[in-house]
Amino acid sequence: MQQQEIHNFLLQYFQANDCPILENKPGYITVQLTVKLDKELMNRPFYWHYLEKTGGIPNPMKLTLITDHNAAPNHLKGESIHFGSPRLHQIFASTKNLAKYIRLYENHQQGTQQTPLLPWLCMNVKISYQCDRKRDQFRSIGLQLIHGALVENFHDRLLQIPLTPKIPDYSFTISPLIKPKSGIVRIEKYLKSLIMEDDHTWAEEAKQRWEQDLRLLDHFYEDIEGENENYETEKQALQEQYEPKIKISFINGGLFYLTEKMI
Amino acid sequence: MKVEIEFDSSWQDDFLEKIDDDGPWGVWNLFKLAIEAEKHLIIPEFEGLQAPKHLPNLTPLPHQVETAKQVIENMNGKAILADEVGLGKTIEAGLILKEYMIRGLVKKVLILVPASLVTQWGQELNSKFFIPAVTQKKSYVWEQCDVVVSSIDTAKRNPHRDIIYQQDYDLIIIDEAHKLKNNKTKNYEFVQNLKKKFCLLLTATPIQNRVEEIFNLVSLLKPGHLGSETAFYEKYKRDSRSLNDNQHLKELVNKVMIRNRRADTGIEWTKRHVETIAIEFSSSERELYEAICSLKNEGDWLQTSAFSVMTLQREACSSREAVFYTLKNMLQKRENPSMAFQQQMELLIKKVEAVQTNSKANKALELIQNIHDKVIIFTEYRATQLYLQWYLKQHGITSVPFRGGFKRGKKDWMRELFQKQAQVLIATEAGGEGINLQFCHHIINFDLPWNPMRLEQRIGRIHRLGQEKDVKIYNFAIKDTVEEHILKLLYEKIELFERVIGELDEILTKLGIGNIEEHLIDIFGESSSEGEMRIKMENLSSMIEFADSMKEGGSQHAAAGNT
Repeated sequence: MQQQEIHNFLLQYFQANDCPILENKPGYITVQLTVKLDKELMNRPFYWHYLEKTGGIPNPMKLTLITDHNAAPNHLKGESIHFGSPRLHQIFASTKNLAKYIRLYENHQQGTQQTPLLPWLCMNVKISYQCDRKRDQFRSIGLQLIHGALVENFHDRLLQIPLTPKIPDYSFTISPLIKPKSGIVRIEKYLKSLIMEDDHTWAEEAKQRWEQDLRLLDHFYEDIEGENENYETEKQALQEQYEPKIKISFINGGLFYLTEKMI
Repeated sequence: MKVEIEFDSSWQDDFLEKIDDDGPWGVWNLFKLAIEAEKHLIIPEFEGLQAPKHLPNLTPLPHQVETAKQVIENMNGKAILADEVGLGKTIEAGLILKEYMIRGLVKKVLILVPASLVTQWGQELNSKFFIPAVTQKKSYVWEQCDVVVSSIDTAKRNPHRDIIYQQDYDLIIIDEAHKLKNNKTKNYEFVQNLKKKFCLLLTATPIQNRVEEIFNLVSLLKPGHLGSETAFYEKYKRDSRSLNDNQHLKELVNKVMIRNRRADTGIEWTKRHVETIAIEFSSSERELYEAICSLKNEGDWLQTSAFSVMTLQREACSSREAVFYTLKNMLQKRENPSMAFQQQMELLIKKVEAVQTNSKANKALELIQNIHDKVIIFTEYRATQLYLQWYLKQHGITSVPFRGGFKRGKKDWMRELFQKQAQVLIATEAGGEGINLQFCHHIINFDLPWNPMRLEQRIGRIHRLGQEKDVKIYNFAIKDTVEEHILKLLYEKIELFERVIGELDEILTKLGIGNIEEHLIDIFGESSSEGEMRIKMENLSSMIEFADSMKEGGSQHAAAGNT
């Protein structure tokens, strides 16, 4: 992630959370946090607890984040932000936390004509392939809750569509035939079948490494009679180290009501 | 092949509830940002290092990056890092730890290091790697904190021990792991019982010599890699000196061990400038020294060891305070001292009292005033240390003391004071180990230790990776004394000061000169004439020179052994 991307990301994050941007200059931004974001980011529960007990006037903090030291004024006080900085990762986590579930309608331009909007279930997930190493994959799946069509890269498609949180005039939604709960099950099944067809050489190899180390371990303890606690511990550790696993974790998702021709 | 697929469904109820209650819903802009953030955090490949991208303020050296990659990709996260001293094993370990944390493979980490390095490890991980490592101070840290740095001596004792055994660690890092070469010790047993999913053993000195030590260390890391105990010793003789005797064994060891050598890394080291400063005794100091020398020839002293006389001689070259302290001790220790002994002592003490100035201290002051920068003074004697501190203060120079006996917190505090406020750090011998003082590049060796390794360690405090300037070393030696002999005959001959760190270590181990100090005491104490002493000294230095030439001619395997 480039410093400029980080700068833009921060700007959008604070704007989306209704924080007044006090300064937005090359190399840094200064924002006035809202009470909500102060609680989210600044980690001072005692202050807020005290304030609520005494009924004082809340005074959320200002935050200056420096994204480029060369461009920012020399004596500016603030936090440096780069891709590995804990603050950025806190903001990443907060972003995910604040927008886990969503419901939006297509802001179509059909005029006064009554327009039906079809329900879609969207799930954005991370698939992690893990043994003693790990890699991830991002997948965005959309499921139409009337006739059950599945669409990949759903998020990218949504980006092309004007969306609004309020249902537009002259529009009505069609209630889902497939319940969201069973929709989730369908997506889960689809993802699993997809993964089954993958190339799993990585898992084979991990298993070989595991078995090899296990053989060495057995050999090491073969002289020692009876139950040995260390042996069991080591064996357990090898399993945790090598056992291939695939994890599907949820990033965010929601319901989208779209006109028939959009997707 | 069938692989278990885990589908996280913890969010479902939450989501369905929101549908039933129709909200509250998130904002589209944040929703999009969350995906953008996630896409940046996703790591599409098994191979390669992510850590450097996260650490813009750290510029790891090529060999450090390569080591981290090797350990993760080819050694499955279990390795002995045995780089030569000063090549940055901590950075390598930090990179590996960071990589595993970024990839979400490691969360719970235990780092066991010598007590004197606990704070430093904690600081480096926090400031260089942005890893929230906590140094162990209370017993609850084991459970509440994910990354804990502690000394092994604390960790192995209850109540800590029992709590630690209940934790599920993903990665264990042990610094100075060569201390675990003996499998009969409590420390070894403690580490053996820890569950080690991933494990890094860092060792400053190569596992040299004994095959037994190698077996124990590797078995700690990866039991069975070298076979079972009985099978191993059947194959390789227990007392076999060197790994190099066996090509097969060497290859096996190299599968779990990485040893970068200074010569291979191509790092430019800053230079060492050594200046020997010969100092003349004042007349009263000379008298004291001569009085001590004449003790050797007197009857009553024969039964006390040559060692005491030697000590007094060396102390006389340092400060009158040091001499006085020893004399006082000698008087107190002896039961029913004879008249002659008491008289002798009184005479010596009178001579001590007659000394009014300290020629070396004068010189040191002059030097410090000219340098106008941070200086470390090393002395062997505590009495000298105290005196110097007082003396410098008289002349308006701030100084802090440093001793090996200080507790961890005090050491850190002194280091901090030296860095931020005082101009001079006065350290006794034991202070030589365990702290890094790269921000300083002047050393005064107020008196010289007789063990070259100790001198090496002194210099190693400041001449290491991270030192940006050339290092200046000033050696004080009083003319026509034992000190001058040591300096001329030993140190200058073997070019000790010009060597890079670690080299001497190899040479001495190879020679099997375990305790060079004993050799020297023997030479100085037992020689009946100046000539005999000179010859013996030359013998010793040529032996070292010989070993050195052997080393250069010898093979240059980057293997486990020390050649």
